[in-house]
Amino acid sequence: MSFFLIAMKKMEELVRVVEEEGEGYKGEGYKNPIVVAGLPDVGLVGTIAVSYIVEKLEMRTEKEKCREIGYIESDLFPPVMVIHEGRLKSPFRIYGNESVVVVLSEAAVPPNAVYPLTRALADWFKRIGARLVIPITGLPVAKRIEISKPEVFAVGNSEEAVRWLKEKQVEVLEEGFIAGSYALMLRECGKRRTNAISLLAQCFPVYPDPGAAASAIESLEQFLNLGIDVGELLEKGEEIKLKARDLMRQTALSAPEMQKGVEQDIPIMYR
Amino acid sequence: MIEKATWGYDGNLEPLYEVEEREDEFLVTFDLPRVRREDVEVNTTKDTVEVVARMSRAICWEHWGSVQRKITFQAFRKRIRLPEQVEPEKASAIFKNGILQINLPKARRKVVVPIT
Repeated sequence: MSFFLIAMKKMEELVRVVEEEGEGYKGEGYKNPIVVAGLPDVGLVGTIAVSYIVEKLEMRTEKEKCREIGYIESDLFPPVMVIHEGRLKSPFRIYGNESVVVVLSEAAVPPNAVYPLTRALADWFKRIGARLVIPITGLPVAKRIEISKPEVFAVGNSEEAVRWLKEKQVEVLEEGFIAGSYALMLRECGKRRTNAISLLAQCFPVYPDPGAAASAIESLEQFLNLGIDVGELLEKGEEIKLKARDLMRQTALSAPEMQKGVEQDIPIMYR
Repeated sequence: MIEKATWGYDGNLEPLYEVEEREDEFLVTFDLPRVRREDVEVNTTKDTVEVVARMSRAICWEHWGSVQRKITFQAFRKRIRLPEQVEPEKASAIFKNGILQINLPKARRKVVVPIT
């Protein structure tokens, strides 16, 4: 095997998606699910939104119930595990049922893991036949303090995805740079011909933003129709902010390396 | 080196904060959930700003992190050293939806250089 092939093989193995067999796990029985991803980023919008979605879907009836179905492991991740109710878990977890899959993380993604992570996830989304991937994130705005209901914008990775956005009347980002795991996830899904749409809610850059997460979930309803009421998310907003302080701090520390500042720049080919 | 914890056994949490340097001032914001405007105290000197904010309702966690015992936090407390001197008597602050925003004018303002 050539050095190049060995190197490629090693790159593929840097991040592994591990599917767990457990109670209610349906194995290969996905029915072209829609994937919702919420990795830590500005305002922790995606993380807060998907954690709330999982919490609500865990309480559903047997058919709609969302269960923990796997996790993501990598030597590039920090040597950290999380304990919930006395049970050891990976901070990078996957939940789902046959029609919805949710990817979340309770730890910041190290910048050097972003490329292999998004490649491994995009490969797995392709393998399970995902019909649409929706990474949720935030769009930092300077005057967030003056915005009572954050607006949601979107980016699609294909002509078809952009057409869907326009049909649903979601405002599409027309110009600019996007940076971070969601940007690469759009590209990696596009390379594998998997449609992906990123939803970006206006948010505080370095403070957890449950209000932005609520707006993102409301926008997501247009694609998933899960019937999730965001009232409780808004009511518990202050408690969520308190719990999310440390993850927000970790995430903000890696923002410069993630080139998040580039999102404020104007591209040279701006029209 | 182990990073310093953002909480103390004295019941205080360290709030998330951001310091933005502008041309003539520093804009410092603090995220203070569960805090009302009347329970916020801001003190500034020429090179520091300190915030003490009491929560309207204490937060209690039963199995807090590595301590694994019940712990309660009643307030936020943080003192920040500023990168350059400010005029503390000209500072102003607003508090909205749990965000405290403090404007601190720089002591050394810009001087227009005449071009001959």
